[in-house]
Amino acid sequence: MAGVTHRLEAHVLGEGDWIGATEICRLCWLDLGAVMELAELGVVAPRATPPGEWQIPATALPRLRVIGRLMRDLGVNVSGAALALELLEARRQLERRIRALELLVSDH
Amino acid sequence: MEFRDYYKVLGVERAASADRIKAAYRRLARKYHPDVSKEPNAEARFKEMQEAYEVLKDPEKRAAYDELGANWKAGEQFRPPPDWGSGFEFSGGAGRAGGAGHAGGARRGAGRSGWSGAGAEDGGFAEQDFSEFFSSLFGGGSPFARGGGGAARDHHARVGLELEETYRGTTRTLELRRPEVKPDGSVELRTHTVRVTIPPGVTEGQLIRLAGQGAPAAGRGQAGDLYLEVHVQPHRLFALEGRDVTLTFPVAPWEAALGASVTVPTLGGSVEMHIPAGAQSGQRLRLRGRGLPGQPPGDQYVQLKVVLPPASSPQAKALYEEMRGKLDFDPRANLSR
Repeated sequence: MAGVTHRLEAHVLGEGDWIGATEICRLCWLDLGAVMELAELGVVAPRATPPGEWQIPATALPRLRVIGRLMRDLGVNVSGAALALELLEARRQLERRIRALELLVSDH
Repeated sequence: MEFRDYYKVLGVERAASADRIKAAYRRLARKYHPDVSKEPNAEARFKEMQEAYEVLKDPEKRAAYDELGANWKAGEQFRPPPDWGSGFEFSGGAGRAGGAGHAGGARRGAGRSGWSGAGAEDGGFAEQDFSEFFSSLFGGGSPFARGGGGAARDHHARVGLELEETYRGTTRTLELRRPEVKPDGSVELRTHTVRVTIPPGVTEGQLIRLAGQGAPAAGRGQAGDLYLEVHVQPHRLFALEGRDVTLTFPVAPWEAALGASVTVPTLGGSVEMHIPAGAQSGQRLRLRGRGLPGQPPGDQYVQLKVVLPPASSPQAKALYEEMRGKLDFDPRANLSR
């Protein structure tokens, strides 16, 4: 059964937003231990507060969510997921570069 | 609705052990995970697998699914038996129903999709976790949904946007399905249509929060939130990196050699740009602030591509011959050093 149409305002989590530890865990399918380990690995740079009260810039969320999904879905640990993320980002960078070079030499 | 053969989805025999099922899921998940895979339809395949694994990894759900019998074929028209779920005892532990969203808790292995919903033809999406087949057997209202904890749950979905939409902002009409308890205590799925305004400047992977649009808590508690993860579709002309865009821009040899004023397309419309004399193919020029909006806005990079006119007419041939005769130019000078 269809309901009525509501108009919703979207809030984009972006620059200037800081996300607390509990919400990071919720949004990224991670536990606090994993977030702390990611901070040790330098993947995220939380504000210097006690770990339980950490805040992380919302701009870090896309990377953390990939890590959370890789851990949840593929059973890899924190270090493995962080390494996979870096390799995926490097691959994307190379693909962009290759595409740009292909455009330079193509007929179109 | 169509029957789904979960064993076939995971490529295992009906008699497969739990370990065998887990191994099959892990192997396929590695191949089709949307964050990793380059396979076509990876996201759809991955969702199918998650749904199959959600049932087959759980002894109760698997036993109930097996009770349907071995004669069903994938795609066959199916209706749940009237006494569905009776005769089973449910352990009903918290989280067994696969809730994705107990606030603050670790949800690794909770199993429910982080990829619910997908870009549809019109760029909108249908917010739903699994297939109608799954929902009818194991979803809200079924005996298998008991013990989910009753907490509010966040929902997560992907939304595909064209690059122009991220530049200008856009609206999306979303159809959200959520279970609602009727006065007689039964549960039905109700569809709510919502219109969402997405502001300009969202980037790849960014999250959009729609407060209160997730799954409601049991009783009168506050509902969870709906999070849309932005995915920007590849563009015919512009390559996106963060908020910056790059355009490969063809120029004639004389424009590169002598300099020129040219009209360049940008996301916000055409602008005039000066090509400096002596420019080379592959050189990148920057149009500051012409990328996606933001604080600060992105830039547009213009990668020059010198295109040679074909020597297809007597005049063109004559000009090339004149250059050969008059220019002291050795393109291979570096090779002989």
